[in-house]
Amino acid sequence: MLGRGVKRKWSCLEEAEVVSEAAEDKQQHEDEDGQDGLLDPSRSDMSRLQQRQLVLGLCLEKLQRYQAGVELSLRRSVLLINTLRQIQEEMRSDGVGSCDVHPDSCLLRDDFREDVTVTCPGCSEGESPPELPSQEANGSDQQKPPAAVSDAVNAMGYLGDLALDDIFEDIDTSMYETSDLPSAWASGSLWPLSVSLWPDEDVKLRPQSHSTAGSLQSCLMDLNELDHIMEILVKS
Amino acid sequence: LDSDVQWCFSQVKGAIDDDVAEADIISTVEFNHTGELLATGDKGGRVVIFQQEPESKNQPQCRGEYNVYSTFQSHEPEFDYLKSLEIEEKINKIRWLPQKNAAQFLLSTNDKTIKLWKISERDKRPEGYNLKEEDGRYRDPNTVTTLRVPIFRPMDLMVEASPRRVFANAHTYHINSIAVNSDYETYLSADDLRINLWHLEITDRSFNIVDIKPANMEELTEVITAAEFHPNQCNTFVYSSSKGTIRMCDMRASALCDKHAKMFEEPEDPNNRSFFSEIISSISDVKFSHSGRYMMTRDYLSVKIWDLNMETRPVETYQVHEYLRSKLCSLYENDCIFDKFECCWNGNDSVVMTGSYNNFFRMFDRGYRQDVTLEASRENSKPRSVLKPRKVSTGGKRKKDEISVDSLDFNKKILHTAWHPLDNIIAVATTNNLYIFQEKLN
Repeated sequence: MLGRGVKRKWSCLEEAEVVSEAAEDKQQHEDEDGQDGLLDPSRSDMSRLQQRQLVLGLCLEKLQRYQAGVELSLRRSVLLINTLRQIQEEMRSDGVGSCDVHPDSCLLRDDFREDVTVTCPGCSEGESPPELPSQEANGSDQQKPPAAVSDAVNAMGYLGDLALDDIFEDIDTSMYETSDLPSAWASGSLWPLSVSLWPDEDVKLRPQSHSTAGSLQSCLMDLNELDHIMEILVKS
Repeated sequence: LDSDVQWCFSQVKGAIDDDVAEADIISTVEFNHTGELLATGDKGGRVVIFQQEPESKNQPQCRGEYNVYSTFQSHEPEFDYLKSLEIEEKINKIRWLPQKNAAQFLLSTNDKTIKLWKISERDKRPEGYNLKEEDGRYRDPNTVTTLRVPIFRPMDLMVEASPRRVFANAHTYHINSIAVNSDYETYLSADDLRINLWHLEITDRSFNIVDIKPANMEELTEVITAAEFHPNQCNTFVYSSSKGTIRMCDMRASALCDKHAKMFEEPEDPNNRSFFSEIISSISDVKFSHSGRYMMTRDYLSVKIWDLNMETRPVETYQVHEYLRSKLCSLYENDCIFDKFECCWNGNDSVVMTGSYNNFFRMFDRGYRQDVTLEASRENSKPRSVLKPRKVSTGGKRKKDEISVDSLDFNKKILHTAWHPLDNIIAVATTNNLYIFQEKLN
């Protein structure tokens, strides 16, 4: 199995929930016939930073949502990713440090499954989350970011620190890696499989998405077999 | 309100049940070129065509009613074995071809395949064959002693739909639009990243005329959301994007129309900037006016009219439900912000219409600068009852008969509306019902 089974903490979202619950308590004077409405009144009361945290969490949640057998809407995915990038940019320019959520991190792949747990290299052993390198570097020069923002940073920190190699270090891929891999598939340098934000559906030979890490192995085997077949076809 | 046009309930089609069967969800509505036929497509892949009864002399104050003319299964669910994904049978769009002979033709499409359907009437059948009995069994030729000429005898009207062409395997991504060219020989189909041009007679190939797929998919930031041909310039088409831009292309310029002839985009209002700015700017529908001088676009909160000669900003902007602007975070949370509303012109381009939530729909009179909000509901469905304008209260105090924003039902959305090409008859689709409203005639 991937990771060590420690769930990531959505500390920023939990904070936002606490805030919004408090806001809801204040708003007991809603219309009685608000039963059929789907709007959460507390959402309009949030500060921009609170909203940003909430939207960030929702973005990631929506991107990871997966329904078996149904193709995700490309338009929706693009809009979500662009929103995520915008928030990321804003957090960067707010001086929140390098919370680099690489759009091509495995969490944002369309075929990322919720049952594949991911953990920071540090968290797995029960250690405290590692500090972000940029904060170490610039800590003395920059103002300390407000607590709410740094919580968001911590939440995103695991994304920045994610070294994909570490996650998969226990999978022996040496027998599958070959120098003859098609260039498209070898472009993701950290990852035996090409990490693509969008399922590039034109490339018909991409391996199918799988739901468990166990099938990651078979995925790699498929890759190798397909590559082998491709070689034969190309040479013939 | 177009000099005080009053709208009356005429008919409602579909189940009365509150429990909506998913297959019955209406996904597209389209009048044909004369308005005599009204087609709907649903999530179950079916097409239902209604035909208007001729006006009766008994009721001159009423235009003819629409009754079911033909029902057929256009698309079936498919399975893409390579990607382990279902291909939905939901009908995304229907477009009628102008009538050339006794039969009617329409194009219907799901996410991947376009089909040309022929709808023809049969009201006579041949009888009196020499070699066949009436029940179809073949006669022994040796028993035939005389010859007769078979003749046509009337029979009960039968309306048959048959697929004449299947245009498949040309779209990697999901088809969102089809549009028939004014040459009536070609049509375009658009998916998220590409637009293809087809000849109606040829199914085994199409020309790719727009391709916005980046070499590296990780650079993808924009998709195509809708496309349409100009109503009388057969070389001109437009396509809209998820970033709120519309590109107009001329097919004479080059084979691959990657360079637009014109690009229509309104600069963003810095006061309204939010995390949701891009999502709400995504254009969900684009429609040329009948005249061909203007085009209309629908984004999440507004309808914009563009003069084709001015690319810098729309000439008119109508707010559909501005009261939702402060609720965007909630609408993002419950996914409503991704809803795609369509829009349509009336026959003489003086009024435009689009849907909203709570089964409300809006009409904007361009000349009189008036707008009205109406509701499609079973409660207002007494025959020929005049629809009362609705109002959403935005301020603190809610007046009588107004409804507050928080009470709106966001599950009741009107995404698809259509306007009769000649008369004031409109078809409005709620989730699973089709409402037909007519102008009150005295």
